[in-house]
Amino acid sequence: MLKILRVEWMKVKNYRTFWILLAITIVIVPAVSYLLYNLMNNSFPKVKGKSILGSPFAFPDVWQTVSWNSTLTFIIPAILIITLTTNEFTYKTHRQNIIDGWSREQFIGVKLIEVVLLALLSTVVVLLTAVGFGYFGNKVPDGVSVWAGFRFIPFYFVQMLSYSMIAFLLALLIKRAGLAISVFLIYMLVENIAVAILRNVYKLNGADFLPEEVTDRLIPQPYLKALIRPEETARWEHLLPVYLVVGAVYFVLYCLVAGRSFLKNDL
Amino acid sequence: MSSILSIQSITKFYGKIRALNQVSFEVPAGSVFGVLGPNGSGKTTLLGIIMDVLKASGGSYSWFGSPPSERQRQQIGTLLETPNFYHYLSGEQNLKIAAGIKGKDPGDIPRVLELVKLTERKDSRFSTYSLGMKQRLAIASCLLGNPQVLVFDEPTNGLDPVGIAETREVIRQMAREGKTIVLASHLLDEVEKVCTHVAILQRGQLLTAGNVNEVLVNEDFIEVGAEPAQMANLQGLLAGLPGVRQVKPYEQHVQVFFGNGVMDTGELNRICFEKGIVLNYLQLKKRSLESKFMELTEEKTSVSAAN
Repeated sequence: MLKILRVEWMKVKNYRTFWILLAITIVIVPAVSYLLYNLMNNSFPKVKGKSILGSPFAFPDVWQTVSWNSTLTFIIPAILIITLTTNEFTYKTHRQNIIDGWSREQFIGVKLIEVVLLALLSTVVVLLTAVGFGYFGNKVPDGVSVWAGFRFIPFYFVQMLSYSMIAFLLALLIKRAGLAISVFLIYMLVENIAVAILRNVYKLNGADFLPEEVTDRLIPQPYLKALIRPEETARWEHLLPVYLVVGAVYFVLYCLVAGRSFLKNDL
Repeated sequence: MSSILSIQSITKFYGKIRALNQVSFEVPAGSVFGVLGPNGSGKTTLLGIIMDVLKASGGSYSWFGSPPSERQRQQIGTLLETPNFYHYLSGEQNLKIAAGIKGKDPGDIPRVLELVKLTERKDSRFSTYSLGMKQRLAIASCLLGNPQVLVFDEPTNGLDPVGIAETREVIRQMAREGKTIVLASHLLDEVEKVCTHVAILQRGQLLTAGNVNEVLVNEDFIEVGAEPAQMANLQGLLAGLPGVRQVKPYEQHVQVFFGNGVMDTGELNRICFEKGIVLNYLQLKKRSLESKFMELTEEKTSVSAAN
């Protein structure tokens, strides 16, 4: 597999679009959090020198805050994944890679590994950003455990992986970059609207388990925590393992669909 | 092991359309094997199946006497349908990727680039290449690592006459080195110049396969002509001669095909003269692969129409 990854690296290391999108994927994480940090400090009223939104950028809340902020940028890594995947179909190099001597399993396997690696990279950036805000942006409060909210970092990885797999699957099935990106965006929008309607109009909590929503539920919005009722927090804690298991089931499903599509069909 | 490639009863459906129907043949080691057929006959489909780009609906195939695998394909240089490379990478960078996949030494890249005369353009982006250059890069990729088996689907597509001649010479050189070459082509005169074996496909059916000499056996024929007033008598005389398999009349001459071998032209001239027919044209002709191909495909079309 290392040899295969080395070949994949050869495909992208001289590809300017890859570097631009990767740079944006990395830079946008601290940038979004910085933007919201400034917005919070400058635009919201303070009481006794503290923002009415609390201290979301301080430990231990900074893990959740930066993770949630970064989920607003998922479209960028999704575009990167879709672009790299659909390039193979556009140039028909997916056929040539098989002809030259990769198995179909190796081809689809290395693409899945790349999706996981990108999610890992993004997670590391989120972690470093959170550490930066926590230590350098704010004084660590006395008696506060820095690691208390660290679980939101692996939750971010799960959510990032879920979005990336949806993007990868759409790229694999649609094979055209523009159309795949459009379908990705429309699907995200439609599912959000569907969740809002099902939950608020029809009072169906099952909406929580739709593909995008189930991983979104892992990281609740970090601002205005004071407005969240304790029973809602308790319900969220109670359902966390369910969200993770359902998310894992979706991930396996994405892998099976991707695998079947590429392994069984004509290229 | 005498067969490099063995194809058994390959069938392929695209929906309801049957692209290949129970195609079977063997490619002997060291042969230059031509796969011929008109557009839509299934040549590219067949080559796609044996390179695992397409999935057969039925039948099987084996390379080197073993079930197909990606390791085998690493030992085969293949050009299938169109040159497929990364447009944003240079020729050399693309060949490095191909070498990486095939497990070949990238140090061989300068040699193959020189063989196809692309050394000067190795650092240019693939998207800037002309069609001929793209085709030559694809041929270079096939030759990486000096594989013992080559599969070419229309290798001269897009090449100018010089390029076609050079490609023909590359194929001949590979054949002299004992490599096995599977070559799909429309250019029958080119195939005839290099191939030792042929398989002819039409509408997914295998019409014939074997050694070129066997496919063209007994295919010499005689063309004769006489004054217009004597042409009808000439045709009647020829049709009644012993050993004559077929008489094909044309406007100003007649082609005579024999069942076994061919009649001596002097003897034919004597027979006609004795019957009062003076020939003004007499020539012994060798059957070309092209005319055999046209005959086979016309026969098949006629039979299909009759049925």
